[in-house]
Amino acid sequence: MILHSLDRVTADDFATATDWQPTPQGLCRGDVCVPAPGSIRDDGTLDIGVVSQRLGMPVVHDEAHGVWAVGPATTSGHTLSTAVAADHELITRDGSPFRLSSLRGRKVVLVAWSSY
Amino acid sequence: MGATVVTVALDIKPEHTYQWIDAANATHPSLIDIHHVTGDLFGFTNIPMAVWIDEHGVLVRPAEGASVERSPLRDMEIPEGLPERMEQMFRAVKAIPDDAEAYRAAILDWVAKGADSQYALSPDEVVALSQPRGESQARAIACYELGEYLLLTIGHDAAVPWWRESHRLDPDNWTHKRQAWTLVTTPEGATENDLMQGPNEVYEGNWLDDVIAGGGGEAYVVRPKL
Repeated sequence: MILHSLDRVTADDFATATDWQPTPQGLCRGDVCVPAPGSIRDDGTLDIGVVSQRLGMPVVHDEAHGVWAVGPATTSGHTLSTAVAADHELITRDGSPFRLSSLRGRKVVLVAWSSY
Repeated sequence: MGATVVTVALDIKPEHTYQWIDAANATHPSLIDIHHVTGDLFGFTNIPMAVWIDEHGVLVRPAEGASVERSPLRDMEIPEGLPERMEQMFRAVKAIPDDAEAYRAAILDWVAKGADSQYALSPDEVVALSQPRGESQARAIACYELGEYLLLTIGHDAAVPWWRESHRLDPDNWTHKRQAWTLVTTPEGATENDLMQGPNEVYEGNWLDDVIAGGGGEAYVVRPKL
């Protein structure tokens, strides 16, 4: 997740970028919730320091360009924290948005490839 | 087939994917992931890799090598008289394990039997069998993402230090490395990416030397545990 400030991250922006949803129960993704007291400030923004510590998300900073990147969670010690499939918006060949959730009710084999 | 195949191209330059998608004349969803976010979310670190998702949106297999057709490169005779480096590359490619037949059979078994298939894993098994991800691998992903952002907003030179660091932190992430290498080894104006990704002046690594350093072709892929 790319950030231009550590102080103005909304719950929605965080959830869109990471699939982790800040909730009163904690930071949740699929069937997994990680308690994270203090992660949501009174104004509704997230304390990225708390969030990244709770989820084991490394934060890297390019000082020259004033930008940060937040890495993925490491709480499970594995690539996946849950078996619930992520549902990030991708694009099709013609640029249309597409979500895997549009295929609910079907088995899906998602195959990664590249041109390189 | 009682399943939908969805392809996703991890490619920072979507225009590089078009000729392949068009040539395939695919009727299935053909997606493009310019930010490599599916690598982050599902664990794609090389290609081809795949995950299986059931009717409820739950993964029943984690990201793993997903060849479904044996590559002719595995069985080819290496011509004599090749330059040494080219010969080394052929040998490395031939040594890459090929599980295509078993993997294809497993998919068909799952499609036919669903949750009763021996290849359909429980949610706990899926998480446990997904690739290890610790601080180094996660930081490597953050570094890759930062580099990608800087590439698109500032320029290539701003991206390079972050991508070099990403490669150092997670040498097993081949999509990150190959994406970076191909941008510097593909000649300007070429219609296809350079697949050799040889030694260059920008990155310390390159495809062949990194494959050898990582244990050879035998260690190059995440083999499906069928």
